[in-house]
Amino acid sequence: MSMLDIFMIAVRVAFSAFVPLCFIAVCVWMERRGAGFFQDRAGPNRAHVFGFRAAGLMQNAADGIKLFFKEDIISDHIKHKFFFVLAPLIVFFCALISFAVVPFADTLVIGGKSYVMQGIPIDVGILWFIAIAGFSVYGIILAGWSSTNKYGILGSLRSAAQVISYEIPMGLSIVSMLIVYGTVNLSEMAQYQGQLLFGFIPMWGALLQPLALVIFVIAAFAECNRTPFDLAEGESEIVAGFHVEYSAMKFAVFFMGEYVAMFASSAIIITLFFGGYQIPFLATDTLINFAKPVAFLLMVGLPVGMYFFAGWIRRNNKSHYERENDPREFEAKVYIKCFWGLIVIIEILLLAILLSQSGGDMAHIFVALLQICTFLVKVTMMIFVYIWVRWTLPRFRYDQLQKLGWQMLLPLSLLNIFITAAVVVAMN
Amino acid sequence: MGAKVKLIERKGSSLIERIYLIEIFKGMATTFGHFLRNLKDNSKLYVQHYPEVKPEMPVRWRGRHRLTKHEDNTVKCVACFMCQTNCPADCIQIEAGERLDDRAEKMPISFNIDLLECIYCGYCVEACPLDAIRMDTGIYSVTDDNRESFVLGLEELLSTPGAYPEEDYKKGGA
Repeated sequence: MSMLDIFMIAVRVAFSAFVPLCFIAVCVWMERRGAGFFQDRAGPNRAHVFGFRAAGLMQNAADGIKLFFKEDIISDHIKHKFFFVLAPLIVFFCALISFAVVPFADTLVIGGKSYVMQGIPIDVGILWFIAIAGFSVYGIILAGWSSTNKYGILGSLRSAAQVISYEIPMGLSIVSMLIVYGTVNLSEMAQYQGQLLFGFIPMWGALLQPLALVIFVIAAFAECNRTPFDLAEGESEIVAGFHVEYSAMKFAVFFMGEYVAMFASSAIIITLFFGGYQIPFLATDTLINFAKPVAFLLMVGLPVGMYFFAGWIRRNNKSHYERENDPREFEAKVYIKCFWGLIVIIEILLLAILLSQSGGDMAHIFVALLQICTFLVKVTMMIFVYIWVRWTLPRFRYDQLQKLGWQMLLPLSLLNIFITAAVVVAMN
Repeated sequence: MGAKVKLIERKGSSLIERIYLIEIFKGMATTFGHFLRNLKDNSKLYVQHYPEVKPEMPVRWRGRHRLTKHEDNTVKCVACFMCQTNCPADCIQIEAGERLDDRAEKMPISFNIDLLECIYCGYCVEACPLDAIRMDTGIYSVTDDNRESFVLGLEELLSTPGAYPEEDYKKGGA
């Protein structure tokens, strides 16, 4: 094993471990600011360090510090303290490792050797995700049971029943995807989606299997315990459900686990249905061959985009009341300068690619980075959909939830499998 | 009989509505419109920037209490105990004493309102036969870090001015 091999393994493991963690902050921030904007409020915009609010991201830091230094309470009535502490860890850990099989870039070729860009490059692919995602409900059940609290146990019972009901349509909709792709390996699925349908439409799963997309997204929402399926923590009925007895960092781990699960299932939805890391119309080979024109286009496009972004920052980052020497305008200037600095650094890197030998390792790395960016942008958009749905739809009633799962989604997904299988057989 | 019956059209039974998804997308389009509008220009948010921009309290708002005075600066209150008797939260404590200014027989020597007990129901204002106690100070934020300072005494109640002109207050229906 050369140094490069070890380095590449470190990079991909670090990516699949730390990117979900970093995205917790982004998700929480998006959730709160998004919730604010959906409801015509502002969202968190006051917490600051030396006057820099970072568009509300400082609130996350403040909350994190608060949760970290809170007293960690385990009530005396809790008999099974070990399981009580274990439960949030299960939820968090399962959410984190379920992301490990998602490919975030096409197989990278450096010096004639290829590296699979996955945290854990195994062939089980989507099966790993189903297994781990199903396992994370054990954490919730354990939390509710070991809390020795009626609200807790009700919440975890609901969660268990819900996950069982929704895992079936989810699995069945994946089966129809497997029929189309002919593989369980997520990397191969993403490569398959780089092709073009009839020569001009990207062959994304969403276009091949719209019904499976709808079923899978609904089931994924239920799997993440997100609204409209967050009955496990329906605060109007059962206070906070399974995490009613949790406080401080143990609660924070549940909370972070929820967002990591959201990130992971967004990544799975992207990989299965929206082409994964693929840039539409630009397959990996094309990108490597045309690395220089693409780099040049980016060099032109980035400053233009940044110009408009700077205008947006300047317009929106100011106080909306009478204030002398508005400190927020100074803040906006600093942000704009920081972003321009970032753009300059990226421009220099792009210039290096323009000057490098075409089709070489540089081009391969450039394409991989481009695909990682595409992947993250797509995942962020999917997370936005999660947030969007959360602040639009009210919660389901429990019987409606079960009815939707068993009487609508299950027959639909079975029907989808039959149709897909028939079409695939007929086409061959 | 002959009562007017208004038939409300029941929604949600047509096929399109029963598929849910179309209606869900309609709702999501609505919320996305709000999101986009606020993202483009956040000066249009329906919020007040509270500590810097204070809300304007309407005249009928029941704020912190005060005791009123006659024109010659004598206390209107005659210590009849109506407000204390009527108070559901039991937060008013009056001590009556002899009155020397020929306005009436009694006047309060001490008049304590415990704002931690008070529920701001306004029954004291309703009960007062002499319009001596009012809640028209417009003070909506009563904060401190010790319990003692929440008990208002006679001087404090008398020294707080009303926030609104007299005719506006009368119009307010008190």
